[in-house]
Amino acid sequence: MASVVLRNLTKQYSGNNAPSLEMLNLEIADGEFVCLVGPSGCGKTTALRMIAGLEDVTSGEIEIGGRIVNNLPSRDRDIALVFQSYALYPHLTVADNMSFGLKLRKVPKAEIEEAVQSAAKILDLVDLLKRKPAQLSGGQRQRVALGRALVRDPAVFLMDEPLSNLDAKLRVQTRAEIAQLHHRLQATMLYVTHDQVEAMTMADRIAVLNLGVLEQYGTPRELYNFPNNQFVAGFIGSPSMNFVSMRINRDVERVYLTGMSADSNIKVTLTDEQSDILRKSDCSDIVVGVRPEHLIEESIDHAGFSAVAEVEVIEFLGNDEHIHATSDDTDLVAILNAHSSVARGDSITLSAPHDTVHFFHPTSGLRLN
Amino acid sequence: MTTTAQTSDPTKRRHLLRRMLPARGPSNLVLGIIAIVWLVPTVSLLVISLRPEADFGVSGWWKALLDPASLTFSNYRVLFDQGFVAGGLLDSLMTSIEITVPATLLVVFFACFAGHSLVFGKWRGRDVVFLTVVGLMVVPVQVALIPVVQFYHELGNLFGLNPYGTIPGVIIFHVAFGLPFGIFLMRNFMSGIPMDLLEAARMEGAGEWKVFYRIVLPLALPALASLAIFQFIWVWNDLLVALVFLGGNAHTPLTVFLYDQNHELQANYWIISTGAIVSVIVPLIVFFSFQRYFVRGVLAGAVK
Amino acid sequence: MSGSTINAKIRTSGHRPWIREHAVSFAFLAPAAIWLLFIVIYPTIDTVRLSLFNESATKFLGLTNYKTVFSTDTILTAFRNNVIWVLIFPFFVTTIGLIFAVLTERIRWATAFKALIVMPIVFSTTASALVWATMLDNSPQIGAVNAAVLTVSDWFNPPGAYPVSATAGQTVANLVGSNAHAEKNSSIVSNSSARAGGMIDIGLEDVSPTTLALLKAQDAVKPQPMSGAITGVVWRAFSPSDPTNKTDILPAELGLPILRLSLVNPQGVSVATTTTTTSGQYKFSNVGTGSYFVELVGSNFSSGFTGISWLGGSSLTPVSGLGQTAQALLSVPLADMAMIITYLWIWAGFAMVLIGAGLASLNREVLEAARIDGAKEWQVFRRVTVPMLAPVLAVVFVTMIINVLKVFDIVLNMASGSSINATPTLAVEIYNDGFTGGVHSGVSSAIAVILFLLVLPAMIMNLKRIKGV
Ligand SMILES: Nc1ncnc2c1ncn2[C@@H]1O[C@H](COP(=O)(O)OP(=O)(O)OP(=O)(O)O)[C@@H](O)[C@H]1O
Ligand SMILES: [Mg+2]
Repeated sequence: MASVVLRNLTKQYSGNNAPSLEMLNLEIADGEFVCLVGPSGCGKTTALRMIAGLEDVTSGEIEIGGRIVNNLPSRDRDIALVFQSYALYPHLTVADNMSFGLKLRKVPKAEIEEAVQSAAKILDLVDLLKRKPAQLSGGQRQRVALGRALVRDPAVFLMDEPLSNLDAKLRVQTRAEIAQLHHRLQATMLYVTHDQVEAMTMADRIAVLNLGVLEQYGTPRELYNFPNNQFVAGFIGSPSMNFVSMRINRDVERVYLTGMSADSNIKVTLTDEQSDILRKSDCSDIVVGVRPEHLIEESIDHAGFSAVAEVEVIEFLGNDEHIHATSDDTDLVAILNAHSSVARGDSITLSAPHDTVHFFHPTSGLRLN
Repeated sequence: MTTTAQTSDPTKRRHLLRRMLPARGPSNLVLGIIAIVWLVPTVSLLVISLRPEADFGVSGWWKALLDPASLTFSNYRVLFDQGFVAGGLLDSLMTSIEITVPATLLVVFFACFAGHSLVFGKWRGRDVVFLTVVGLMVVPVQVALIPVVQFYHELGNLFGLNPYGTIPGVIIFHVAFGLPFGIFLMRNFMSGIPMDLLEAARMEGAGEWKVFYRIVLPLALPALASLAIFQFIWVWNDLLVALVFLGGNAHTPLTVFLYDQNHELQANYWIISTGAIVSVIVPLIVFFSFQRYFVRGVLAGAVK
Repeated sequence: MSGSTINAKIRTSGHRPWIREHAVSFAFLAPAAIWLLFIVIYPTIDTVRLSLFNESATKFLGLTNYKTVFSTDTILTAFRNNVIWVLIFPFFVTTIGLIFAVLTERIRWATAFKALIVMPIVFSTTASALVWATMLDNSPQIGAVNAAVLTVSDWFNPPGAYPVSATAGQTVANLVGSNAHAEKNSSIVSNSSARAGGMIDIGLEDVSPTTLALLKAQDAVKPQPMSGAITGVVWRAFSPSDPTNKTDILPAELGLPILRLSLVNPQGVSVATTTTTTSGQYKFSNVGTGSYFVELVGSNFSSGFTGISWLGGSSLTPVSGLGQTAQALLSVPLADMAMIITYLWIWAGFAMVLIGAGLASLNREVLEAARIDGAKEWQVFRRVTVPMLAPVLAVVFVTMIINVLKVFDIVLNMASGSSINATPTLAVEIYNDGFTGGVHSGVSSAIAVILFLLVLPAMIMNLKRIKGV
């Protein structure tokens, strides 16, 4: 087992304007499960492939287990990579797929056999060992890909969207299996996904990338409760956080927020602490963020956030329903109990308590509270 | 209700089909006639080779179809009984094999290597090399003959090993002119192999050589088969290269045997037809055993 | 800014040299590259050099060889033949391939049919050429094509019972033995005339005994004169015991059966017809007044149609009276057509397979849409299928042009003694000039360079197509 440290890791593909990855600094502790998330094209795969040694490093350092591996070929880095496409060798059986790397390393036959068997047992592949990849279902293939990494007993597991080819149900199931596997092996794992739910449910820590830049690195709880900036706040959580632009009014005795229009239906009240922060800030506008799950349909006294909105779409999900409503031309999403009797066209009041309201700088996007 | 629905459904579909593919009957007839016409020359060759020598020119070979009992293997027996005398049929058969097998294997090997390099290598200029190869595909053999003959003599002067007039000399030439198509075929096929597979193997510790023969080669097997068949048939059927490079050699391949029988020796047709059948039987076996790969090779761009 | 300095540092310190980094890859490429360099690329360039030198490559001549190429009749003939091949073959092979591909779409035994049509591709062109040379042989006892042609033509123009063999130089006049002479219209007319009750006998010679055996001829017997009729015998006036006596009917001399005779008046008008019996006798009854001659009509000796000399030296265009060079440029040898037919037999399968694959990959829904729009089958084919197939047809066409420009084996093996000077192609000339009777590099190389230039457009098309992929 080993830790992984990335220092100022940068990747510039020749011919591209902007770097695909810029000055990435990341520490993954020994035995930690870290998820790399971000929207499509943000450089997740690029980062992973550089760690794996499949892509040259433009600048920066990669350290695995205390050793700088920039110029080591992949095979000497003691890592295993689970590909998004699984990359199973189509001409080899499941057993041969799993033992391929060990055979190359001239590991004794008996040892290989044992490793394959135990991995097969863990992943429930024992009955499939003689089959070719083409004869397997998507989920089984995925498990073989995992198994191939497992038998190698690498210092670090790298996985690039290993679940994206599975259907929704299987994905949930396999997600749990991988999490379980991690507990069992206590191995260092770096897991790439664009699905924040996967990241939230599995990771010890999450690194959020955007446009090649690390936006935040922290535990799921930190990311959820204290997003560094508007991007992270919007990316983590589903449905996304609601954002409303408001104007800051700084009176002599107090600071208060008003809507962008004169007759605004949105009201935000501030705690003293919040007022202090906003008073010190340099901007005249502010972005207010509230998560849909924090909104309730009733007007509460001293609410941090409240808005009168017209219901436009109701998505019924069984236990909950997602309400899409407009207030002051701003779209708001709220997760309400399905027993609520809200109907389309209704005018409702949505409110949220003080401690669930986030403030972001309108230009830099940084969190202010 | 349900039964009528079940019976009416297929007929309806058949009507629809008939409307979309009209005139099946005439097609069958026309193609039947074409098929027979196409088969006639081959059958004629076979029949003539099986008729007694004395019947040739006296009555048409088709007369023998009415009298199959008159057919005999005596022509074959006579030619085979000669044994491996230089210039004989068996000797030519052997020579054809001696030329074709190495020329095929070498092309397959080299083309596989080169294809791997062109697809999975990361050096710049791969595309230029590949396009050059595509260009070379149509270069007529004739353009290189004289300089290569001189080059061979030069090798003789320098190293005392002159391939001119020898079987290796023919093989070397065939390999060179088989390579462009071979590389083209292998590169195109290999570029369909997912890069992930190679990366996975590299990560697991495979060096380039292992990646090649453990992953790429097994996966490229279908293309390899196509190439082998093509090259085999191409070399087996060549006349020009053998004529030029085997000048003066006592052992010649079947095509030269047939050519000589027809031209220099004004042979009786029974030798030619028997020899032609022998020369055709090997590629025919190859063709019918690997028809799928042959057709795939044609489709992959037989532009020679 | 700072990024680029870090960048540079890592590049220099950390990366292996370019050549080392790709050493394995280059090693993989090396055998093929070396081979191509020495046996294809360098020789191709060297050929250009050799084309500027004399035949033994010792003296620089400039463009003299090229002048020779364009002023030598045999080489101009080769050019002309290549033009004929290129104009005819690619078009027909593509068309045939298209027809076959479309027809096979509709039959159940398409696989078998395709295998059968493709089969000749795997034969050596040498073998195929020899097979077809036999198929096209002049003799109806060898050549199946001429045998078939004869069978059909005999229906319309049956040969007589006593055909003269024109190929052996025989004429009707050779047949006259006694008391007759040959006329211009290939008939034979008696010298003597007779009135009713008279007799006219005619002796013929040079009649094949096998013909007579076939007709079951019997010994000639002179009939009795009959009143009101003209009678006589026509017999084979040849007896081994007395070969010079042609006027008397000797024992064992045979009558000539089933000869068609006509009775003609002195003005040459036929008044009656009859046929001889197995012993050669005939009788014209109820003969009117005046004297008459007996005529053996020309159709008795017609040899019918004698077949086509496919591989002979004849030209499809009139060339008599033209000078050497004009002939070289303008004649279209029938043998070229014979070879093209053979080549179609070989390559139709190739075109069919490629076009068939193109057909299979067409979007069926487009065709169906056309049908729903009211197009007839033929219109669908003409207006939708063919245009959609255009790229494939072009590939087949170009491939076949390249193929035909290099055509060699078939000419070398099919040309007969009388067509050998009419049929050579450029590839054949390169071989003939360069390699028969020792190696001569000058003119042969010049032709090779020209051949190379001719395939160059096709090469460029290929490159464009493949680069686009
Ligand atoms: N080989 C390459 N050459 C040039 N640019 C590349 C290459 N690979 C990736 N890129 C670019 O680098 C950026 C990051 O790509 P990367 O594959 O790392 O994204 P990702 O985060 O994995 O996205 P996804 O979630 O879609 O897989 C993209 O803009 C992409 O276009
Ligand atoms: Mg990716």
